[in-house]
Amino acid sequence: MPAPTESVAAAPAPAGRSTGTVVASLATRAAARSAVLWGAVFAVTVAASAVSYTTIYPRQSQRDALAAAYGRNQATASLFGPAPHLQTVAGFTAFKVTMTLMVLGAIWGLLTGTRLLRGEEEQGRWEVLLCGSTTPRRATGQTLWGLGVGVVVLWVLTAAGTVLVGREAKVAFAVGPSLWFALAMVATAAVFCGVAGVTSQLAATRRQAAGFAAVVLGASYAVRMVADAGVGLHPLIWASPLGWVEEMGGLTHPRPIALVPLVVLTGALAATAVHLAGRRDVGSSVVADRTRARPRLRLLYGSTGLAIRLSRPTVVGWWTGIAVAGLLYGLIARSAGSTITGSSVHDVLSRLGASGTGTGTETVLGVCFLVLAALVAFVAAGQITTTRGEESSGRLDNLLTRPLSPTRWLGGRLTVALAAVVMGGILAGVFTWLGAASQHSGIGLGTLVVAGVNIVPPAVVILGLGALVFGFAPRATSTVVYGYLAWSLLITVVGGIGATSHWILDTSVFHHMAASPAVPVDWTTDSIMVALGAVLLAVGSAAFRRRDLAGA
Amino acid sequence: MADGDAAVIETRGLTKRYRDTDALVDIDLDVVPGEVVGYLGPNGAGKTTTIRLLLGLIRPTSGTARVFGLDCRRDAVAIHRRLAYVGGETSLWPRLTGAETLHLLGQVSGHVDTAYRDALVERFSLDPSKKVRAYSKGNRQKLVLIAALMTRADLLVLDEPTDGLDPLMEQAFRLSVREARDRGQTVFLSSHILSEVEALCDRVGILREGRLVELATLADMRHLSALTVEATFDGTVPDLSSVPGVSAVHVDGRVVTCHVRGPVEPLLRVLADAGVTGLLSREPSLEELFLARYGGTPDAGAD
Repeated sequence: MPAPTESVAAAPAPAGRSTGTVVASLATRAAARSAVLWGAVFAVTVAASAVSYTTIYPRQSQRDALAAAYGRNQATASLFGPAPHLQTVAGFTAFKVTMTLMVLGAIWGLLTGTRLLRGEEEQGRWEVLLCGSTTPRRATGQTLWGLGVGVVVLWVLTAAGTVLVGREAKVAFAVGPSLWFALAMVATAAVFCGVAGVTSQLAATRRQAAGFAAVVLGASYAVRMVADAGVGLHPLIWASPLGWVEEMGGLTHPRPIALVPLVVLTGALAATAVHLAGRRDVGSSVVADRTRARPRLRLLYGSTGLAIRLSRPTVVGWWTGIAVAGLLYGLIARSAGSTITGSSVHDVLSRLGASGTGTGTETVLGVCFLVLAALVAFVAAGQITTTRGEESSGRLDNLLTRPLSPTRWLGGRLTVALAAVVMGGILAGVFTWLGAASQHSGIGLGTLVVAGVNIVPPAVVILGLGALVFGFAPRATSTVVYGYLAWSLLITVVGGIGATSHWILDTSVFHHMAASPAVPVDWTTDSIMVALGAVLLAVGSAAFRRRDLAGA
Repeated sequence: MADGDAAVIETRGLTKRYRDTDALVDIDLDVVPGEVVGYLGPNGAGKTTTIRLLLGLIRPTSGTARVFGLDCRRDAVAIHRRLAYVGGETSLWPRLTGAETLHLLGQVSGHVDTAYRDALVERFSLDPSKKVRAYSKGNRQKLVLIAALMTRADLLVLDEPTDGLDPLMEQAFRLSVREARDRGQTVFLSSHILSEVEALCDRVGILREGRLVELATLADMRHLSALTVEATFDGTVPDLSSVPGVSAVHVDGRVVTCHVRGPVEPLLRVLADAGVTGLLSREPSLEELFLARYGGTPDAGAD
């Protein structure tokens, strides 16, 4: 699909025919390129989950035991979605990957959508195009078309992975359900391209647009979580796009009706985006953006204060997300944990990282803190990426050509990053306790704050890795940090099933974290992780002091 | 420029190599206190590389760069206390307002002449209550100019500082540079706007493909260059091509233009004999001097 468009975009646009579709070509190329990467990840995730199930649970009796123990567990249903038909490869695979992939798909949609619809405009590239023969409405429509192509690419790759692994005799997925399942896995990508389309019109910057879309995603997740928690609110599932994907029925029991709201919503969002695009000026937003402001000088006493001021909106957003997630986990933990009896369930959860002899509630929370650890690690990755952004944009020149040493600047910046991460961990603990305490779970504040602190070390390692790359190969910072984080998460999700070799498991930073409160915190390992992070931070800072500043 | 003054900027054999390209080769620069030195060259000649080396933002491959007698890399912080820099491609923090940006940069600089800052805001007619995101390129440029000038630093390092400024603001900029010079501040001005350099600078360095091909006062450069002569005749136009020192003869009807280097007497004699009715002569503009060093023609090449 990208082949014919490549030539149009690459050629210096001869006047006439091609100028009408140049936006579509550029958007298609950009969307398809990233969809190929993400699609490969989707395909591998599906295939790896299916294959590992056949190796760990080769006998039908094992599978039946798994389904009996686990299939009606509200804890896992609430966290990862319902788990019917666990006695089949198809049922297990769908359960194992659905939550991960639909959240990943939504993130792809909102990142790619805001990048193409707002990021390009923010950097002034659209003005060049809009001077030509196209209008904002048409340009928005064409970009949405390009995003649609990206979703199709994502679907084709996911479907290919599912169909191919389905040809394996032990796995045996039929082609029809495989295609349907792949469609379900990319449905959120389409919806959130539409959400990004609308928020890109409402917000004035890409960051703001992505932030608005992330709030929609967070809300969709929360609504679905409550609906699946088994507290009698299941009809709420129809109020969340993530719920509709669950209702599509995975590989085992397709329900075409669930596709209707997904298609209608995506179409409506796209139409709204195009409509709004025509009602505003290029570079401005629908919601009036203040171009003037009273000076707020309190934090602008120096570079560290500036770092606080600049990170605050994003970090507070993450903290809010972490707090809300913790609160919800705390709320469901007791009722979910009460369904865990019998050792076989412990065994299953232990494969997700929460082995131990704690109560059911503690076991459930052990898995929850793994998710919270991932969120805190994302805060770390974002912090180091913005640090690099200050340099690559050239804004850092304004500071380092003044009497401020590079080491001091970076030290201040990294201190802010560490504070954001540590506070994230503490908030996770406190808010999980608030939720749990309201349900009289009998788990102390101290225990959960310790569990919150326990999720900080992996994030410190991520931060240290980022500082190291920033010091030696600054242009690779974002790729390496997010790449390693994605790898670690994937290893934990896929490897949690237990089939992977220990050597590979060890490369995941989350694998070294004890699943507190299900198991006691391993302070030795935590100390080693923090020490490793500190060394990496120091080496990275030293390397930064010695190297040239490097632009984008 | 009094002899014996310690140099404000001093580079010896300054060289910067990026993988396989020589960005800057063997630069020997001396700038003395109170001087305004222009630094000329087309895009990619190495102007910005020189300045980033002087600022200590990048390391030299070989050679040394010293400012106020201090090493540009090792003693960067000490140097920056007495230096102010303006870049041509300025990125600022889009969500800060102009006033917030000035406050922040003043704080990091450490010392600000607030009265002068307010006068500059007035002079450049900047609205500091606006967010940087809402500024045009010209307004962002004004902001960084004010942020640099308000420190009254001993050395101003300006890298194409008037990019995006309108002619009115260009005048305000020139006024500010003259003020700085009158106060004894040293100015190192990289530019490709020749009229700006001509109007402001005592000495001019010309950079070509990473090499410094000229560093002299404008008067010296002119002195060593050809004079342009335009002569009008009533009758027959004489043949000037064989006159000593004359080159680039161009005849247009009864008007002849040519370049003359060295003594003008032989030319004047020929012109007088031929019955010249009108005579116009002028020194080469900086543009002509500059182009001569880039055109590669031996014609106006001074040395």
